[in-house]
Amino acid sequence: MNYDRPELLDKLASEYVLGTLRGRARRRFEQLMRTRPAALSAVHAWEDRLGRLAAAVAPIKPPDRVWAAIDARIGAPPKVAQAKSSWLDWLKPVAGFAFGTFLTVGLVLNRPGTFVTVDEVAQSKQALPQSYVGLLLNDAGEPTLLASSTRQGKKLTVKFLRAVDPGGKVLQLWALPKEGAPFPVGVVTPAKPASSTTLELRDTSEKLFFNVPRLAVSLEDAPAAAGAQPSGPFVLSGHCVKLW
Amino acid sequence: MADSASLQKDLSRVSLGDRVAFQRVYRATSAHLFGVAVRILNRRDLAEDALQEAFVNVWHNAGSYQAASSQPMTWLIAIVRNKALDHLRAQQRHTADSIDETDDDGTTIEIADDRPNPMQLLVQATEGLRIRGCMEKLDPSHRQSLALAYYHGLSHSEVAEQLRAPLGSVKAWVRRGLERLKKCLEAAG
Repeated sequence: MNYDRPELLDKLASEYVLGTLRGRARRRFEQLMRTRPAALSAVHAWEDRLGRLAAAVAPIKPPDRVWAAIDARIGAPPKVAQAKSSWLDWLKPVAGFAFGTFLTVGLVLNRPGTFVTVDEVAQSKQALPQSYVGLLLNDAGEPTLLASSTRQGKKLTVKFLRAVDPGGKVLQLWALPKEGAPFPVGVVTPAKPASSTTLELRDTSEKLFFNVPRLAVSLEDAPAAAGAQPSGPFVLSGHCVKLW
Repeated sequence: MADSASLQKDLSRVSLGDRVAFQRVYRATSAHLFGVAVRILNRRDLAEDALQEAFVNVWHNAGSYQAASSQPMTWLIAIVRNKALDHLRAQQRHTADSIDETDDDGTTIEIADDRPNPMQLLVQATEGLRIRGCMEKLDPSHRQSLALAYYHGLSHSEVAEQLRAPLGSVKAWVRRGLERLKKCLEAAG
């Protein structure tokens, strides 16, 4: 079959969504959807057309056991344990980061001649300056971006721990507050791993991030304006914590 | 049904592993989606399984939801219908393997079907919608074939059996019905 013919793709997509495309033909078409964006967009268009027919179906409340089963299958530990483990989970990268910094500070104190650029206040206090720190992971769970800003600062330093290919789009950083919709923080300029870039914040970190437990990055065609929402899935995300 | 904007926002949070947002999505949509699954499967237990699988799928794939290309409810309905259709087929294979659906004298056993008439659903679904005018313009045979396939998940040959029509005709009705529906919706803008 010549799948380059748009009318054939559209016909297959329509019967796929209606449900009359069966058996091997259905599986073949699902394969096609994964490899051909044209097939997938034809399916989306048909889902949109026929989806309106589903509106008439009377709702039926599913029994509670369905949610319980879903909750168990997505790996939900019991409520108490969950709170505990999630606290530890997000603490881990921070603890690692803090430990690394502690080692650095230790080295600085013991070998003052080797390092000259470290904040002297932090050295003398043997503590990090009060800062907001975000560690963003990619889909594979690998640490990819480290974002940090001093508590009253208006600059955010972004360090790439791993290369990110924006594929012609911009890397838009979002803050995800405890309550309410995500808001744009700024555009991250791609850089080689281990190097940092800086972006200007529109206010102090304290004002922007006080109620923000998570940060995320999405790929956008253009920098997001104030009030805009992410147009697609997040490619990076992670916790944002107060380092004091 | 929940409004699209808040569902969209919650789905983007689900893609970050936000369980609270996930539970909100479930609360807002599960009754409607369960209704869709029950309608197709005509069995509560199987519909529960389909709903469960659909939501586990949503949890893992919320990141693939593209806000730009479809409404969140459309996306969720598509997932649930696909799971329900998978179950229906598995069930049919199982039934075909285990029992012969004809009596000794060769007459087909009538299986009780207490679901509402799909034509009635179609009328309700299209109430006040642009799609109504388009469905009404279809030949009755086309309209009926589409309704049976969509609401009850029937295959071409099952629709043919229900309407007591030749398989070839039903295939043509479905195809033309879909083509005309699309043209009409496009013309309506």
